[in-house]
Parts: sequence; C-alpha cells; structure tokens
Amino acid sequence: MKKLSLMACIMLAYTVHGQTTINSSLFGIMEARALGPGTTSGRITAIEGVNNDEGKTLYVGTAGGGIWKSTNAGASYKPLFDKYCQSIGAIAIDQQTPKNIYAGTGESNMRNSVSIGTGMYKSTDGGDNWKKIGLDSTEHIAKIIIHPNNSNIIYVAAPGALWHDSEHRGLYKSEDGGTTWNKILYKSPNTGCADIVIDPKNPEILLASMWEFRRKPYSFESGGLHSGLFKSMDGGKTWKEISNGLPAKPFGRIAMAAAPGNPKKMVAIVEAKETGLYISEDGGESWKSQSATLNVCARPFYFSTIAIDPKDEKRVYRPAFEFAYSDDGGYSFSTASYDGGWVHSDMHALWINPVHTNILYVGTDGGVYTSLDRGVTWTFHHALPVAQFYHATHDLKDPYNVYGGLQDNGSWMAPSSAPGGVGNGNWNRLYGGDGFWTIPDIDGQTAYAEYQGGNMARINLSNMKSVNIQPQKTSQEEKLRWNWNTPLVTGKKNPKNLYTGAQYLYKSSDQGRNWARISNDLTTNDKEKQKQEASGGLSADNTSAENHCTIFTIAESSIDDQIIWVGTDDGNLQYTLNGGKQWQNVSPQIAASGIAKQSWISSIQPSQFDKQTVYATFDNHMYGDHLTYVAKSKDMGKTWQRIMHKEFSGFAHKIIEDPVNKNLLFLGTEMGLYCTLDGGENWFRMKNKIPDYALVRDLAIHPKTHDLIVATHGRGIYIIDDIRAIRELNAEIIAKDVHMFPMPDMVMNNGKFGWGGPEVSGAWGTGNAQEKPSIQYYLKERLSSEKAMVEIYDADNHLVQAIPATGRRGINRVDWNLRGVPPKVAAGSTKMDGAGFTAPMVLPGLYTIKLKIGTKEYSTTMNCVHDKENKDLSVTDRKLVYEKAMQLQALYSRLSSTIDSITKWQNELKKDSVAFKKSKVAAQKFDQLEKIRGELMATKQTSIFADEEKLREKISAMYGIFCTMEAKPNTTQLQAIDDLEAEYKKQENSFKILVADKS
Amino acid sequence: MKKIISIAGMFVLLFVSQLSFGQDINEIVNNHNKAIGGVENWNKVKNIRCEAVLKAQGAEVKMSMNMVDKKAMRLDISVMGMSGYQILTDKAGWSFMPFQGQTKPEPMTPEDVKASQDDLYIIDEFITYKDLGKKIELLGTEDIEGTECHKISLTDKEGKVTTFYVDASNHLIVKKSAKRSVNGKEFETNTTYNNYKPANGGILLPMNQGGDMGEIEFTKMEVNANIDEKIFTPETAK
Repeated sequence: MKKLSLMACIMLAYTVHGQTTINSSLFGIMEARALGPGTTSGRITAIEGVNNDEGKTLYVGTAGGGIWKSTNAGASYKPLFDKYCQSIGAIAIDQQTPKNIYAGTGESNMRNSVSIGTGMYKSTDGGDNWKKIGLDSTEHIAKIIIHPNNSNIIYVAAPGALWHDSEHRGLYKSEDGGTTWNKILYKSPNTGCADIVIDPKNPEILLASMWEFRRKPYSFESGGLHSGLFKSMDGGKTWKEISNGLPAKPFGRIAMAAAPGNPKKMVAIVEAKETGLYISEDGGESWKSQSATLNVCARPFYFSTIAIDPKDEKRVYRPAFEFAYSDDGGYSFSTASYDGGWVHSDMHALWINPVHTNILYVGTDGGVYTSLDRGVTWTFHHALPVAQFYHATHDLKDPYNVYGGLQDNGSWMAPSSAPGGVGNGNWNRLYGGDGFWTIPDIDGQTAYAEYQGGNMARINLSNMKSVNIQPQKTSQEEKLRWNWNTPLVTGKKNPKNLYTGAQYLYKSSDQGRNWARISNDLTTNDKEKQKQEASGGLSADNTSAENHCTIFTIAESSIDDQIIWVGTDDGNLQYTLNGGKQWQNVSPQIAASGIAKQSWISSIQPSQFDKQTVYATFDNHMYGDHLTYVAKSKDMGKTWQRIMHKEFSGFAHKIIEDPVNKNLLFLGTEMGLYCTLDGGENWFRMKNKIPDYALVRDLAIHPKTHDLIVATHGRGIYIIDDIRAIRELNAEIIAKDVHMFPMPDMVMNNGKFGWGGPEVSGAWGTGNAQEKPSIQYYLKERLSSEKAMVEIYDADNHLVQAIPATGRRGINRVDWNLRGVPPKVAAGSTKMDGAGFTAPMVLPGLYTIKLKIGTKEYSTTMNCVHDKENKDLSVTDRKLVYEKAMQLQALYSRLSSTIDSITKWQNELKKDSVAFKKSKVAAQKFDQLEKIRGELMATKQTSIFADEEKLREKISAMYGIFCTMEAKPNTTQLQAIDDLEAEYKKQENSFKILVADKS
Repeated sequence: MKKIISIAGMFVLLFVSQLSFGQDINEIVNNHNKAIGGVENWNKVKNIRCEAVLKAQGAEVKMSMNMVDKKAMRLDISVMGMSGYQILTDKAGWSFMPFQGQTKPEPMTPEDVKASQDDLYIIDEFITYKDLGKKIELLGTEDIEGTECHKISLTDKEGKVTTFYVDASNHLIVKKSAKRSVNGKEFETNTTYNNYKPANGGILLPMNQGGDMGEIEFTKMEVNANIDEKIFTPETAK
C-alpha cells in the first residue's frame, strides 16, 4: 500500500503540463561565454570593504555590470547582482553585521551615457540573495550611510532623475532597516542630494549637499540656486543652510568628507563659478578656501569622491581625473606615480582599509586598482570583466574575431576561441579614446575604429598603425556635426561600401581614402539644439557628448545596396532607393504609431527576406521616457506597427533579424536581452548566464558559426554559441514530449586547438566554443523519475557507446567524443593506467543516435566525415591509424585478461593461508606468477614521482599516441607495435607454460 | 584530497531530500516530506548502503558507500584497476587515494572533519532541521534547469548556509548548493538530482545526481542494511 502511494508520488513527479511556455529556461543549457575583456575593465562606481577581516572582502559596484564580490582582496571576483538592475550608484556594508549589505541602483556620475536604477536593495547574507526595499523611482543614488550605532537607521542620498523633473529625489531616511523611507531633505524637482556625511562620534549630526542639475540630449546644466550645503543636528529632522566661508551661490555639485578620527575636520569640493577645495575645522559650520588646482577641481559633476585617511587627518585623497593626495590637509596635492604602468584616469570610488590605512582601492573608468603605499603606486585588478561596449561586430575568419568599442577604453578585438580559451592576453587594442564602432574590412587585414566625435581611422591589423579618414567639410558646407557615437559601418550587401555620417551621409568604396557625400542634411537641423559651446553649467563641459542633430544609425539593405536607411538623433528616419540620389523621410509615419517624434533612431534592421520590410528601435530616454520602443514596417516605412510586450524594460538599443529564420528576432535594451520565435508576437527575456537586466547595446549573428554575439555596456562581450536549436524550435516541436534535432555533419578531429595552457591567476578567461556539434534534444518536461541514455550505433547496428543523458526541461545537450568504449584495466597495479580512459576515434560513416527514456526511444543520425582540412592525415592514413589503435587496444585487453588470470591463480594459491605457508611448491608457483605479473605491469611503484614502466605502461603509452594521432604514423611507431606484440607474446608464453604444468 | 571530499559530499547530498509547491514554507516542507516517503519512514532509516557508477565517454568509475546515520560513512572508489577509500566518522576521518599518489591512509584535518559532519546525516534535512536548530527561509522561486523551483535556505547554528531548489510541481529537490569555508578556503558545491525511485523502507531517493565531477548513477540502494562498523577504521589505524 505504501509502495502504491510512492508510485503516485512518482507519477505526480512526471506530470505533463498542458502547455509549454516559451521562455529562456528552455534554452538554459545554451550558456553564454563571457569573453571579457578583463585586461581593460569598465567604470567603477562604488567600492566597499568589510573592515575587520583584513580587508579581504570587497564589494565593487559598477556603472553597468552589477555588483562583484571578492573574498581575497581582488585576486578573484564573482558577480552578485545578476538578477537585478546592473547600474550601481552606491553600496554600504553594515559593519556591525557585515553580511547586511545595501545597494543603491543607478549610478550618479551624471555623464551622457549614465544608466538609471530601480531603487534600493538589501542582502542579509553577504550578497547571495537580495530584496528590493524601495525608492524605486529615484533613478540615481549617490551614497548610502548606515548609522554607526543603530543599524536600522539608513540614509540615502538620491540626486534623482537626470533627464526630467521628479520629486523622487533628495535625502531619504529609514529607521527600520530599509522597510520604510521618509524624505527628510528636498528642494525642488530638479535638485537632488549628491552627498551626505555623518558624524561618527555624534551621529545626530549630518551634512548633506543638494545639487541642481539637468541634462538634455544636446546640453548639460550643473548648478543652480537650489544647490547648497545643509547641516542637521537632530538626525535630519531640521536643517540649516551653511554659507560661512563658502563661495557665492549658485553652487553645482558638492562632494565632501569628514576625518573619521576627528569629524570636526572636513573637506569639500564645491562647484561654483570658481570651483575649489574648502576645509572646515568645526564640523562644517564654517569653511575656508584651500586649493583650486586642476587635478582637484576638474569636472566636479563627474568626479565626486574625496576622502580623509581614517588615521591621519592631514592625509586627503582626491580621486578624480588623476589620483591626487595631500599630506597637508588639502593645501597642496601630488598625483600618483605611474611606476609600474599607467593608471586609468577618471576615478569615482575609493575604499581605504581602516585597519591598514596604507591599503587603498580605487575605482576608475577602467576598473579597480590597489595601492599598498597610500595611493602612490597602483596595481590593476585583471579579473573584473565589466567593460562597457557600445557596438560589436565580427569578421569571417576561423575562429572569427570580435571587434568593439568601449566607453573610455578604446577599441578592441579578440578571437572568439583560442588555444586554452580566450583570456586577457587574447585581447588587442586597436584605437584609443572612447571607442564606438569598430569594424573589420572584408580584406581581412584592415579595420576601422573611431573615438568620440567622429574621429575615425583605418587601421592596419598587422601592426595597428592607423590613418585618420574622417571626412572634412567643404567651404560651402556648415560645420559638420558628428555624434559622440558616430556611425561607421560597412555594407550588408556590398561589404566594400564604408559609410559614416555627420549631418550628411558619406560613402567610400576605397577604405576611406575617398568619400562621396550622398545626402543633404538628413537631420532636423534645429539650431536651438546646436549650442554645445554653452554646455556644462557652472563648469564648462563640452566633450562632443552633447553634439546633436546628427546621424546616429546607418544600414544598407542586405538585398539591395542601393537601399540605405539612415536614422538621426533627433527623430528622422530616412531611406534612399537609389544609393543616395533621393531620400524619403518617414519620421511622421513613425510618430503616427505613437513613438515620440524626437526619439533617437537607435538601430535599423532592414529585413534580409523582403526589401519592403524594416525593423527599428527608438530611444527617447533623454527626454525622460525610458520605455521600450520597437516598430516594424512592411511597406518601406509608410506604416509602422509597434512591437510591444509586457516583458520589455529599458529603452531599446538594437534589434536584429536572424539570417535564416525570419521569425526569430533578438532585441537588446538598456535592461535586457529578448528573443521572439514568432516574428515579434511573443517575447521572452534571455538569461543564458547573461544578467537578466544586462545593458545590451549591440547584437550580431555570425553567419558561419551561428553564434549570437552580445555587446553589453558593463559586462563586456558574451557569445551564445550556435543558436541553431533556437532557430529550429517551433510550435510543433514545443508541443512534442521529446524531439531530437537533426545533426550537422560531424568533422572528425581532436579539435581546432592545442592545450594552450591555463590562464594565469588573477586574470579573466573563458572557455572556447564547443568544437564539435552536440547531440541535441528537446524535453517538454524535466525527467524527475526516469533515466535518459544516448546510445550510438554504427552502420552495422553495433553499439559503439552509451552516454548518460541529461533530463532538463527544454534543450538538452550530450557530447560524444567520437570514440568507442575504452579497454578493461586489470586490477592489482600500484599505479593507475590511462588506457582505461580512451578509445580509438571511430571511422567516418553514418551513425545512429538513439535517445532512450524509460521504455521509449527516439533516434536521429549523425554523418561523421573525414577532416579534409587536415593535410597531415589522408583517409588512408586515418584507416591505418584506426587499425593500429584497435590492434593496440586488443593487445591491451589480452594483457589485462592474462593479468586477471594470474591474479586469480595467485588468490587461489593463497586462499588457504596456512597451507600456503607450508607449501614450498605453492610459494614457488606464486613467485613464478608474480615474476610474470611484474613484467606485465607496474607492481612495485611506491611513489607517483618514481615512475615504473612495464609492458602495460608501454602498450598504454603507444595506445594513447595512436588514439590521438592526427597524422600518418611514422615507421618507428609502427615498428614499436610489432615489438610490443612480441614482448607480450613472450610473457604470455611463460604464463602458458605454467598453465600447462598446472594441468 | 579536496576532490575526494567533494565526491563523498556528492554522495551524501543524495540523501538530503526534496520539496513541494506551496506559498508557505511549512506547507512546502510538509509536501516535500510526503513526496519522499513521509517522516515516519525516514525516521526509521538507520543506515544506507549503495553502489554507484560515474560514466564518462565509455570510461567508468565504480563506487560504493556505507553510511550509518550520524556516526560514520565510508566511500570506496575503484578507478582504472586501483582502489581507494575515504572514511569519515563523528570523531575523525581518513583518506586513502593511491591514484592520487597516497601510499597509506592519511588523516583528515580536524577542520575538514568538523566541516564535513553534515555528511553523516542520512535523514532528510527538511525532517531534521528543527531538531538540529537550523533556520529555514523561503527565498522565492528560481528557474533551475528549466524547472520552476522554490528556493529555500537552511542555516545551521554556525552560520553555514545550504540552499535547496525544490520543484514547485512535484516537491522533489532539483538542486542543492552548499557554501563552505574550510582551512581558509571558501568553496561552493552544487548537486542536481533526478530519476527519483522508491527504495526499500518506503522512501524515495534520486538515483542520478550531477556535480562538478559529472553525473553519478546509483545502481543499488539498500536501506537498513547489515553493515559491519569495522569498515569505518582504516587498516593501519585498527
């Protein structure tokens, strides 16, 4: 009866649901490889360490790569925040209970490319699990402070929205560990809280800086009369504004710090008409101007960190454009040494180990560095792959290379696979500055790259020498307006066409040596949006990031190179049908679909199946609208259908269409990667070991390997290898309980690469793409109570190998090593023998693959083909190698059998131990057997460092050589097999003589 | 040494349960306990003997294991003609792995022995957690290998956290993750479970489990077997 109830449980375990939901979990086995790079990193926004564990535990917040934790002071990191928003503004550790961590999302370094957050999060287990705790609409959080004596009191400084008015900003306080929040300091809808300091000796005393700011697509304004410095003596209940000794208002951003050992001593960078460093000796009541050197005061809206050594109030640190430090309380500053190499400029985070204050960690636009000498020299952390790509593409080599441009870290390329896997050493820098479009030429020797403002170059890949190729204006033309992220693309139909655009579109057919302007001004040319010289507010800041009314997107049709689509940053989407002679603006029709007319055209995907069809994404976030806008036109832009889905979040960056299955589309947004299998009706968020809310800036599908290449703005490059299973999945297959996917031809070799060696410690690396196609099958439900096996049969229906198979819901993968079953290894040796782990590679031919689940069986075939690329191994050679390997396997098996017989006989002799001790004949026989056994295999080895080689070890070594041989064997190798046969025969005969004597 | 521990750990993790659908943690635990055969049957389990094989591309590693609840366990491994074992008791532990170069049984460090004591508990953790003073917490749901699972953590008195992922539809454990810190090293073990089958004694056990070493298939399970406890002392220590 009990067994019956158990069976009921089992049946329940295998319940078949009526309908299968298509989501990322079906493809979970197709895990993306994080290619890096770690050799250059991305913008770091927060670093916090646990005070009392020797500084080993670090939490690092990033601009677009989530939170990373190290428990070994930076030797290795792991990501902690992959299920949530990836833009991090601030982190705080409750040092009284260090497993309690707070994270404020949405960084507050308010540059043009900054990403928004989704509020506050809390972990109570050191970052393994997180819970959202409010302030959802603040968008940007600058600092979190935990009351030093009461862990339930939390302060959060929220500058708030960058692009629009919002009341969700200011200084917030929680008195219940983040469960509820009160806004305790607020000035206006465009003024947020930029910084807060708490007096550690009297935590009722707070200083907060308020900041009025606003960014528009074409300008930035830092400063206003609502900015100011405020002090509270009662935990934030009441505030007074501080002005004594400060410059005249208006203020911009104020960053400040108090000396932990003497909180009366304070320093502040005050952005004003004359930005400077101010010091206070009375807890912020009054201030004195102290310094105004460039390395301290530059770009105060972007560099908002200043700190005082916990044990030395005269030692002041200002991580900014460079790392500056002062030994006289901020009167004079030195900058860090470059001994040991360059330290990335643009710094935003600093953690000083409070126990060992000579140890510092600084976060820059290019990763984390450690100093052991109070900031004088620095060592880079190579295992933090949080690079911020804008675009990525690939060439057609084997293995192909990935190319891309990085925020503040130049343009790079790396192979998609390499001996030993892709590591930091495989990445090569092509060009400098802020990198954007980085494009290989079809000639295989040239690439194109650029830095901000359209400064583009042709690069010789053999030596990385570059030649500027940026088109220049003629005397009859207006000043050219180049977007910060200027488009630079090659043609999809004619890859010799190179395009770029200012307000005009340019085309070159000779690698940028000559350009033809093929359009008039394609933008709105709104002069009100072209006053970049006035941008910045109190501090002038015009780095081409505010350039506007420019071309942002260019796409040549892959069907007809006379059809070119161009999108601008001010809402125009235009196309030509005749290579640029005439242009048609379809922006009114887009607006008619409900998309704001001023939206950036962030990507255009002309269909590869139909000239009339085009997809586009639109970005309106610079007007405070973060919704996901995607649309499709089937009639050359005359009408547009919005593509919407409840799963979408974040403004849209890129849409691509699969080159084989027109219903398969991928979408990258500011908060995720999405896929549809039905042409855009239903979408799901792709996870596949990619952060759920990854900032996906660009996407590409490689035409040969079928890989999906994902460029993220914070987690580097991801590759989902071989997406053919996604491509082939359709409603009919999904409805099946089990489906086996057809196998492509299996090219027989040991892989493309040699070993390559491991990645050195402290660096980032990832494995290679699967070198052989997997056996793939789909399961509608997980196998909770059944076993799955894959069996391989040759053309004669002989079982070649049986492989345990996985039983996960969705796509499953099983890999066959193209070999049979290894030989049996005889027991009794003093060393392990490797022959038992391998078998000869099978011969080319058609093999049947059977998937067995319980009593059911599903099958497909696999065509194994000779590797024609390998000129060292002909088909005849392959057969010879196979025959010899099988000969050695048979020899090995015979030897094992003989050893087993000897061992069995020896055991019989010793079975009666008393009789054995009395019998000289038995002892003599035993010794004779042992002598043969000792010749047949190692029996005396006592250490792995004292190798004993007997006949088995010799056969095994030769067997290993032939099992992995990918060339014609040499004559000595062939002779060696004969010698081993003879040697074995000799020992076998000795044994047979003993057997004959026995009988 | 570490590899051996992880093999033993994977074996032991096998006997550590599954859960069920429900909005409340108690309901989930109750459903799980029913799904694996019931508390009453599990409380009768005194020892388990099992045999298993790890297959990889035709090669096989054979294993056998004997466990006496809360007292001792022994794992024997046979690889390529050589045999080794690992023994763990409530007081000591030894490892003899000649294929790793060991020529005699070597003692485990006291820290390893202490850190591995959880491995001696046969009875499902969702049955014993209250008695052992562990804190249970429902952390939400998570997709594991395509299956929606309840994510549940158990934290022992020393702060060691083990996370279970329980199939929301059939209440069986799909995955278990354990974070440990031993001798200054932090590591995490992940084990997946499937192919649940009834064993003698009325309990349900997963016959396949996957981990860092590959997938182990259990070929024989015997509950409350006749185990000679002498096997829990290595030859040289007898």
